[in-house]
Amino acid sequence: MLRNTKKEWLIAYILVAPFVAIYGLIFVYPTVDMFILSFQDAPLIGTGDFVGTENYERLPRDRRFNTAFWNTAYFVALTVIPGTLVALAISLGVTRLSGRLQSLVLALFFLPYILPVSVVFRIWDWTMNFQFGIAMHLLDALGLERVPVFQTSTFFMPAVAFVTIWWTCGFSVLLFLAGLRAIPQEIYEAASLDNTSRWRTFRHLTWPLLWPITALVLTIQLILQLKIFDQVYLFSQGGRPNDNLVMVYYIFQRAFVNNQGGRAAAIAVVLFIMVIIIAALNFQLMRLSERNK
Amino acid sequence: MSDIALNSVTKSFGGVKVIDRISLEVKSGEFVVFLGPSGSGKSTLLRMIAGLETIDEGTLTIGGKRSEHLAPGQRDVAMVFQNYALYPHMTVRDNMAFGLRNIRMDKDKIEERVQTAARILEMDALLDRRPAQLSGGQRQRVAIGRAIVKEPAAFLFDEPLSNLDAALRVRTRVELAELHQNMKSTMIYVTHDQTEAMTLADRIVILNNCRIEQIGSPMEVYLKPASRFVAAFVGSPGMNFLKADLSGRGAEQVSTLGNGARIALQVDLPPGAYELGIRPEAIQVTPSPADTSGKATVVERLGDRTLVHLHLDDGTELIALDGGLSEVRPGDTVHLKFDTSQLHLFDDDGMAHHAR
Repeated sequence: MLRNTKKEWLIAYILVAPFVAIYGLIFVYPTVDMFILSFQDAPLIGTGDFVGTENYERLPRDRRFNTAFWNTAYFVALTVIPGTLVALAISLGVTRLSGRLQSLVLALFFLPYILPVSVVFRIWDWTMNFQFGIAMHLLDALGLERVPVFQTSTFFMPAVAFVTIWWTCGFSVLLFLAGLRAIPQEIYEAASLDNTSRWRTFRHLTWPLLWPITALVLTIQLILQLKIFDQVYLFSQGGRPNDNLVMVYYIFQRAFVNNQGGRAAAIAVVLFIMVIIIAALNFQLMRLSERNK
Repeated sequence: MSDIALNSVTKSFGGVKVIDRISLEVKSGEFVVFLGPSGSGKSTLLRMIAGLETIDEGTLTIGGKRSEHLAPGQRDVAMVFQNYALYPHMTVRDNMAFGLRNIRMDKDKIEERVQTAARILEMDALLDRRPAQLSGGQRQRVAIGRAIVKEPAAFLFDEPLSNLDAALRVRTRVELAELHQNMKSTMIYVTHDQTEAMTLADRIVILNNCRIEQIGSPMEVYLKPASRFVAAFVGSPGMNFLKADLSGRGAEQVSTLGNGARIALQVDLPPGAYELGIRPEAIQVTPSPADTSGKATVVERLGDRTLVHLHLDDGTELIALDGGLSEVRPGDTVHLKFDTSQLHLFDDDGMAHHAR
């Protein structure tokens, strides 16, 4: 059959067009607009006067930006690697089970992941609330003093990190399980004939063979946790929002509370560049380890 | 080098019995092949010796040491898997050295053993490559090398050649035979390929339905199969089976085939209905009328020999072996002579009785 190349191209363009239009409208256009906005003295709605790089120059001197930056870094440190390790440990345990028991245990670990953040907040508020939290009654019973977990800056970030790991690690467990199942059983049989101890089996077989999945989980976690907002926003209610600021929260404050769209856009651009740099570094790290294989 | 003895070992998966009271002795330095169709339990039996499957009942002794409760690594055996089971992220050298490092062997000694194994298997140049950079045959060598460096009491092979192409399979088969002759180690080899079994084994153990059908040297198994199953399973092309009525006693014993042909033979059996077995090479194509005759349907010329597929008058199918320069053509009526010393009769239970 003779092919009409022109017609094929036309059909291809028509099929791709809806995606390109929507992508341009709701992603490319707002992104470009945000970059422009970050150089303007704009309110939340509408444009403002061009002010050059002033919005950016303010940031290093801005105490709240500093808090937000370091809190975000602290939160990422508390969640990404610990969360990945917890998920790995759980998946190593789950993979040893079989049949229905495995499905049941996996479902239990995955359950938190399907909860909306508001429910997660309610559950943990009920648990750790200073006045009526279940954990507080436990502290009472042990004769210890009650701790206002979400009202103290020392405990706030670690507590939110803990809740976040509890909430999101189910997905990482699934990824790790898929990775573990992809390692042929025969390799472990050969290892058992090779007198390999459990630790050496993990260290020299499971860990290196699972590394691509580990790197993937790390990258997903990193990008996700850099964008932390909901949990901090919810748990800060009635607490000390200004001490608990994270990047996205600060963007929200500048734009929607202080009506300073231009300054909010500048912070958003900084976060955007941070995510890109870190994701690129992570990708390089993965490639490096790939070459070592 | 070591004896391996299995004493009425039994294994079930759930409610399904896969190994039923099997007893077997493998002598030190012997090459034993477990031969059987898929599902016969041959691989399970090997894995039970390796320790990869538990033994439900019975005992296993390796080199005089009770081993059924030992972990795989403590049984002093090495196994070569069908899919090689190499560690994909390690170099060939590391693949071989890994097991030795696990038992904290001296570094120099490990290197020495790796070098020796590499020399035996002619893969010195491959030591720094990873499995992904090797061909199937090279990977199989590495798997064998990984077994050799351990200097085990016994080598266990689980269908090691089934993933190789035909030409490579023949070559590797010969190399394995040479390896056994040089190392004189105890080897147990699982296969469903009767050619591998015939060519490699000192003794063949034929398994079927979770039980041993026969244990014997390749020629014993071929010439004096213990049962109809063994007779049918060993040999290519397979044995011919014909209906036969045995009558008369002593020197007057005669078996009458379905087409009425009468063949005199000597066998210790009472008269009755049996199945007569005869291998293609025991049926001779003759120019003049002999025991019986049939019509050639298909003639397969293999160069050195010719396989003549025949139909007897009663519809029985038969294969006869003729010389390479056979003049038989499809449609010809062919006279056949049976070598009466190579006849086997099978009773209703499938037990074999051999003609004298």
